[in-house]
Amino acid sequence: MSGRTRRLLLWIAARIGKRTGSPDVSYPQSSGDALTISPTSIVDSAAAATARATPTALARRVRGLSDRAIAWVFIAPAIILLLAINIFPLVWAIYLSFTNYRANRPNAVVETVGIRNYARVLTDPDIWQAMQTTAHFVFWTILLQTVIGFMLAYLIDRKFRGHAFWTTIILIPMMLSPAVVGNFWRFLYEPQIGLFAYAVSLVSGIPTSEIRMLGDVSLAPWAIIIVDTWMWTPYVMLICLAGLRSIPDYIYEAAEVDRASAWRQFWSITVPMALPFIMLAVLFRGIENFKMFDMVTLLTGGGPGSITEVASITLKRAAFESWATGRASAFAIILFVAVFGLANIYVKALNKVKQR
Amino acid sequence: MADVILKGLNKRFGDTQAVSGLNLAIRDGEFIVLLGPTGAGKTTTLRLIAGLERPDSGRIEIAGRNVAGEAPAERDVAFVFQQYSLYPHMTVYENLAFPLKAPARQLANDEIDRRVREIARMVRIDHKLENRATRLSGGEMQRVAIGRALVRRPAIYLMDEPLSSLDAKLRGELRLELKRIQKELGSTLLYVTHDQMEAMTMADRIGILAEGKLMQVGTPREIYGNPSSLHVAARLGQPHINLLPADLLPGGNPPAGTKTVGARTEHLDIVAGEDANARVDWIEHLGDQNHLHIRVRDHKLVTLADPYLAVRPGDRIKLTLRDPLYFDAGGQRLG
Repeated sequence: MSGRTRRLLLWIAARIGKRTGSPDVSYPQSSGDALTISPTSIVDSAAAATARATPTALARRVRGLSDRAIAWVFIAPAIILLLAINIFPLVWAIYLSFTNYRANRPNAVVETVGIRNYARVLTDPDIWQAMQTTAHFVFWTILLQTVIGFMLAYLIDRKFRGHAFWTTIILIPMMLSPAVVGNFWRFLYEPQIGLFAYAVSLVSGIPTSEIRMLGDVSLAPWAIIIVDTWMWTPYVMLICLAGLRSIPDYIYEAAEVDRASAWRQFWSITVPMALPFIMLAVLFRGIENFKMFDMVTLLTGGGPGSITEVASITLKRAAFESWATGRASAFAIILFVAVFGLANIYVKALNKVKQR
Repeated sequence: MADVILKGLNKRFGDTQAVSGLNLAIRDGEFIVLLGPTGAGKTTTLRLIAGLERPDSGRIEIAGRNVAGEAPAERDVAFVFQQYSLYPHMTVYENLAFPLKAPARQLANDEIDRRVREIARMVRIDHKLENRATRLSGGEMQRVAIGRALVRRPAIYLMDEPLSSLDAKLRGELRLELKRIQKELGSTLLYVTHDQMEAMTMADRIGILAEGKLMQVGTPREIYGNPSSLHVAARLGQPHINLLPADLLPGGNPPAGTKTVGARTEHLDIVAGEDANARVDWIEHLGDQNHLHIRVRDHKLVTLADPYLAVRPGDRIKLTLRDPLYFDAGGQRLG
């Protein structure tokens, strides 16, 4: 430990010690108190001891700093890190989106092109196609995950025998890495050897060679939706379960005496009271799936053709295959504003629901 | 409105017998208060009648029909919970209208509206109908909870300490109000409390519960003046009844077998001065009356005295019994 670090620690300890007030007060007053010494009094006496060990000169210097200044010292590292890896790249990307900069030609002259990049992105039919694909993916995954997740949570909340065991089983997909899930499902979807095709053909009688989940234009988007739903429904279930558990039993008892049927209890008590939690789950999943990249890349890579090419894949291609860094930046900013704006509106609605 | 009859009701939770062999007949239009300390089985009795708990054995009859197997919704009861149990995501109006919207008795919307507003006026919450149920003070929530029960006309109203969380003034007002409403509607009401004041002022009959058993049922006057056991005598009276050995004070006429003498204020005569057998320890001034703390040999007594009685702490007084209550060794009333 360098001298400087040690001094800083001492200085912090001295500040803490000062705030606990007179050190004598925290010591046990009688022999009886010694038996019931609380953790806070241990902390207090430790702080007091540290304060006493601090050289007077140092302590005097520290006392000159306000609490506000101390607060700044504590949060400064986090703020600097945030500026360096979040805010600066964002500002830089905004700058790049107005230029014709190409990352593979660092020596070329960078020209400012105004809003031409934005105009091109917004009029590009391929990009609109990608946005539609994303919207389709986000809509169906959220719908399926919320409905199935809520249903599972509702069942688990019945507290049947072994419900804790089943909760754990249900949570397993969520704990896997998306890379693993993507690779597994590629094998499962395999028409010749895959279990999925085998199971479907067993039930429906369609020959396995025709169940090409990843190769068929009409099936591929649904193949991705199925995998995402399989993986993330447990997450939604967990949040919904927290919501359901927060509804006290006596509310249901009151409703029962008020002669509300199970159906009416569900719609007039369970759903409205769990709604803030459901909305939160939708928000998390919505943001997450809007920028979906890993699973799609692993399963279809955007294909067949570009039928499953979601916005983030189009963006990656523009940035690192066409090397049109400026245009890609413009696209990224547009996506950012869209998600940010939607999320903001949504959070306002969420707060309104929560305030009831 | 209807008669409610409980016969040999038993309910056990794990190791505790919450209710044991409870028999009670509640007549149509009667206001019955169950009085007892915490854990006496008062709330369990209410929950058994409402159907929120199943009895281990025994019969519950509402209007002559055995309802033991029926769900709460089929029993036609209304319940006021101690912890309000309002629907937090609804307004006061929606809370009050909720019981009226049961499909079993679908009312027209303007009928519901009329009933809700009438009851809201009755429990004085009509100025906050559009407020969220969670944006109310404790007293207001309690009034909504009572109102939510009153909007219906069930066979019986069950109330679980509905006034316990109110301040003393509001409690006094609502006590009178509740009694008035009950009389007006002629409703059957089973009310649970540990507040003897509520029991004495509102009840047509009081039932004293202890450890799951019904000790005595009777009018407030009977329960107070003619308690069947030590336990019942100890539940009522402010200050607490003084329990003394049979031979401590003169003036009584204890029958054979008397172990304990119960003496309330009205059973004690105080004369200052001659033949003193007791000493005043200290005096609590309550304003309209005084609490006298008296010591007789090594026994302490508390009694009420009017504020003009000329005694001071340390004074010697003569204490005599006047027709007190006598109990045997088992705590049963004698004579």
